[in-house]
Amino acid sequence: MPQHDVLVIGGGLAGMRAAYKAKSLGADVALLSKVYPTRSHSAAAQGGIQAAMTSEDSWETHAFDTVKGSDYLGDQDAIEILCREALDDIIELEHLGVIFNRTPEGRIDARAFGGTSYKRTCFVADQTGQVLLHVMWEQLVGLNVKSYEEWFVTHLIVEDGRCAGCVALEIPTGRLEVFRARAVVLCTGGLGQVYQPSTNGLAVTADGLALAYRAGATLMDMEMVQHHPTTLKSNGVLITEGARGEGAFLINSKGERFMEKYAPKMKDLASRDVVSRSETIEIREGRGMDGCVLLDLRHLGPEVVFKKLSQIHELARDYANVDVLKEPLPIRPGYHYLMGGVKTDVDGRTWDASGGRRWQGVEGLFAAGECANVSVHGGNRLGGNSLMDTVVYGRRSGAAAVGYARSVDWVAVNEDAYKEQERRKIKAIFDKPPGLRAADLRQEMGTAMDDGIAVFRDEESMGNALRTVRSLKEKSSSVSVHNKGHVFNTDLLSVLEMGYMLDVAEVVGVSALNRKESRGAHARTDYPERNDAEWLKHTLVSWTPEGPRLDYLPVTLTRWEPQRRTY
Amino acid sequence: MRYAFWPGCVSRGGCPELYPAALAVAEKVGLDLVELDQATCTGAGVIGERSEELVDALNARTFAMAEQLGLDTIMTICSTCQGVMSSVNYRLRENPAYREKINGHLRDEGLSYKGTVRVTHMMWALVEELGLEKLANLVTHPLRGVKVAPFYGCYILRPRYVLGFDEHPHRREYLERIIEVLGAEAVDYSGKWRCCGFPIMTINESNGLRMVANHTLEAKQKGAHVLVTPCPLCHLNLDEFQPRAAGQAGRPINLPVLHLPQLIGAAIGFNAKVLGLRRHIVSTEPFIQMTGIPRG
Amino acid sequence: MRATLRVRRYDPETQPTPTYKEYPVDLPQYGTVLDGLLDVRDRQDGTLSLRCSCRSAICGSCSMRINGEARLACKTLVNKIASPGETITVEPMGNMPVIKDLVADMTLFWDKVRAVEPYLQPVGPAPEREYLVSNEAMERLTVAMNCIMCGACVSDCTVLEVDKTFLGPAALAKAYRFVDDPRDGRKMERLEKYTQTSGIWDCTRCNMCVQVCPKGVAPMERIMQVRSMAMEAGFNKTRGARHASAFAEIVKESGRLDEMGLALKTYGFFKAGFTLTGIGLRAFFRNKLPPLFHRPIATAENVRRLFRRLGV
Repeated sequence: MPQHDVLVIGGGLAGMRAAYKAKSLGADVALLSKVYPTRSHSAAAQGGIQAAMTSEDSWETHAFDTVKGSDYLGDQDAIEILCREALDDIIELEHLGVIFNRTPEGRIDARAFGGTSYKRTCFVADQTGQVLLHVMWEQLVGLNVKSYEEWFVTHLIVEDGRCAGCVALEIPTGRLEVFRARAVVLCTGGLGQVYQPSTNGLAVTADGLALAYRAGATLMDMEMVQHHPTTLKSNGVLITEGARGEGAFLINSKGERFMEKYAPKMKDLASRDVVSRSETIEIREGRGMDGCVLLDLRHLGPEVVFKKLSQIHELARDYANVDVLKEPLPIRPGYHYLMGGVKTDVDGRTWDASGGRRWQGVEGLFAAGECANVSVHGGNRLGGNSLMDTVVYGRRSGAAAVGYARSVDWVAVNEDAYKEQERRKIKAIFDKPPGLRAADLRQEMGTAMDDGIAVFRDEESMGNALRTVRSLKEKSSSVSVHNKGHVFNTDLLSVLEMGYMLDVAEVVGVSALNRKESRGAHARTDYPERNDAEWLKHTLVSWTPEGPRLDYLPVTLTRWEPQRRTY
Repeated sequence: MRYAFWPGCVSRGGCPELYPAALAVAEKVGLDLVELDQATCTGAGVIGERSEELVDALNARTFAMAEQLGLDTIMTICSTCQGVMSSVNYRLRENPAYREKINGHLRDEGLSYKGTVRVTHMMWALVEELGLEKLANLVTHPLRGVKVAPFYGCYILRPRYVLGFDEHPHRREYLERIIEVLGAEAVDYSGKWRCCGFPIMTINESNGLRMVANHTLEAKQKGAHVLVTPCPLCHLNLDEFQPRAAGQAGRPINLPVLHLPQLIGAAIGFNAKVLGLRRHIVSTEPFIQMTGIPRG
Repeated sequence: MRATLRVRRYDPETQPTPTYKEYPVDLPQYGTVLDGLLDVRDRQDGTLSLRCSCRSAICGSCSMRINGEARLACKTLVNKIASPGETITVEPMGNMPVIKDLVADMTLFWDKVRAVEPYLQPVGPAPEREYLVSNEAMERLTVAMNCIMCGACVSDCTVLEVDKTFLGPAALAKAYRFVDDPRDGRKMERLEKYTQTSGIWDCTRCNMCVQVCPKGVAPMERIMQVRSMAMEAGFNKTRGARHASAFAEIVKESGRLDEMGLALKTYGFFKAGFTLTGIGLRAFFRNKLPPLFHRPIATAENVRRLFRRLGV
């Protein structure tokens, strides 16, 4: 039975950052990931990473922009930490090898992004996430961090109220193994494939969210899902906000720059929730084209497009047959990011370490990145803040996990019993009579969620989505597989992933239905106003045998009182 | 059809049989060649290891000479020359500012490249400009019963974006088409688009020989009587080094390797002597016998 | 659009050798080969295994051979490679063992990348803020940093086909990324390492990696840059470096290549005699030897001036 002081589950940017920090502190740390780390979805982040680097800017302004962007649902203590520590982290990343674009003076350059007061988004062309991800991977190679690649976690082990490791399946062989750890850090990303279409990769299936939820952790603000304003119609692929940051703008079918109407000051660079809503209104009122509006990059010219947005040029050419230098690109809002996630404190702990039992958690279990909710993004995340979130809170969680691991003893784990339990679970799937398959449920769930709980929502639409999810959950117990072998059985994985996604989709539905106001990405047509008097609080959901249990927790305010939010 | 003609160094050096064979065939099929006698080696991918700018300047010089002659197309008989020239031309035509920089280096000699030249290989010219029908009409000695393995050479296949494959997507099938027009049968095998190993012969000979053995043995196993190539460098390796490759592989090979103009020449009435068929390392005697072409 | 996917299937648990199976698919206008394979997996045959995630050519999971050439399935539009109704052949990557169906065992790939010490190694104390470097220096590296480690170049590398010890295109492109990074402090040590056997000089310049790379990394061109940097840094003793220098000298002298001179200069007189005797004798008897006395072109002096002007 492999054992490590710290086991990081998930090999994206947050996971590798956590493992890097833990290893730097001298801990015995291992990374376990269901894909090769460089395949993680952090690679798809294009536009950049936020840090207030210039003299006219300050971390306080960055923090205020983030608080405002979150529609005051973000916890301000966590936001302050993020924005303050971002500076040192950017410098560290640069020292580790990130090839940030530079100013003529040789300093790290920044571009404009949505909802920010200054140019604050550091970037590497339009491949920022990929470069950050690869540089962190390089560093883990340099530090010789133990890495278990293509291992799929089927169960988080909780003994005596403490997370003691996990059971995982080695995908290439089908072998089950128990991994023991003093501390576990979950960095498994969001719930991308719960929605169809989605900018997220096919591997983003809410695994960690469901594992933590089932193990007794709390999911917070799960109604807050972000639809990105610029995604391709054909396959939902992301077109970076960096395009608008570099000067591209949105037009409707009449050629009007409609964002001037909805956000007179920030226009195309208003917050994502605002832009997505504006686009949806334009389309609904008949000023769209074939379900899309247009992103116009023509005036940027080849120099900017080829040097700073080359991937966009390529994606538009390949998947939409559009040369962005010659014609505007049809785009529409599409599912992109989960602001909600596993409730943690500012050191990634999923449990309330103050002893106050303000929320339910699992001692020894940490979380960071998109699967976690610290919460810095609140009701709406600003572009460029997710990468910074993974870097700052990945590091902090890694460090805290080492501190915790050093303070506790090993918990006894009955290896054989856990293996047997998981083996039985898999056998039960193999034994199902042929019929319904996971793929049949996935599309129905995705469409229901995107119809019901997307840019605009109301009681009826959300109720429909939740009903569909619950009926699929019932059906899911009879899902069968074609492949009953051991070697690289993706058919089996699709069933396990479907189970994760349905659990989490239900939590999104329950959370959304119950928040009776509009805030950030949660825009209800039946409750169109923000209601601070009753709803300046986080939605908490925990697992019970009877179904999701709802609780609420006040938002942490430090120095910014809620104001009216305009752009 | 008038072309500025660049025969390359190897067609008169390591493969001296190629140059006369190519000239003979060109004349007979009606390609009017004006040889660029002051052009230089293209760099063959090697000088580029020292300086890409130098390679660009050397080839821009050649292109400018063609322009001075009032000719808009340079014809090569070497896949490698073709590839290097096409890459350079791509850089120079895509980027006028860079072309001007390179022209700065040529000023001393009174030359300047305006970017009007097109580079083609004899194989392409025969298919795209002469036309296979015309070639077919010239066939007097159809190569019936001869199974021919095509071997293209890397630089006439890759990278496609500099080699005009967008406009002519079938360029990687021309050898087969020509083989069939000549009355022979083309042998399909996986080695036809791969590397002959020539560029690493001085560095890692055993790897280079392994490539020679793999491709020739595979072609033989698929029934080939001869192999044909539009690249004299591939010829050097596949023919001259074939005995040594056979030694390393521990089995005989004996697959005659022809230059493309030799194969065409045989079918349109030239004798073995004009085509230099007896100037090969691997004997072409079986080919001469099968086709019954005059020995001369 | 309708097409048929002819997929190489292999399951080590049930099959001794691979087989091919055909699946009809009907795809939308911008449907990719990956869309087709997912359709097969979801609706026709759940036993098909493949790797995939991002669907936008950034995660590097879905490289495989499509019609004989390594490609990302998610970046290969069906309508670009086939006419309606045509068959598309899909196979796992080459040069690597197969785990199952389209899933290749990439251990060899990762081992090679690890072998070039793929991490920045600055020397001396780090500055308080960022390293001050030019934008141009960073942008130059983006072409190599574009690599998503999909393995396509390694799959189709013609040297790896005959020699599995070659470091290969992906690892050497990664090597370039550090050699040319002004922040790295171990340029000389790296160059020394990369010039050894199985390194930069073993590339056969076949352009296969340039052709198949889905991200424009052009690994071979990066290898050529490292060769050039190695020679500039004085690593001239390898046969590859001697060959390159000799080649350039000869062309500089006469405007044309002279194979005899090249052999002599690359191998040295005695070694050339020894190595080439077998070849040379055969060539002599076939009336095939290159001219012993190489004549320069009439305008050779202009060519020499050009070489000097560009520092070669």
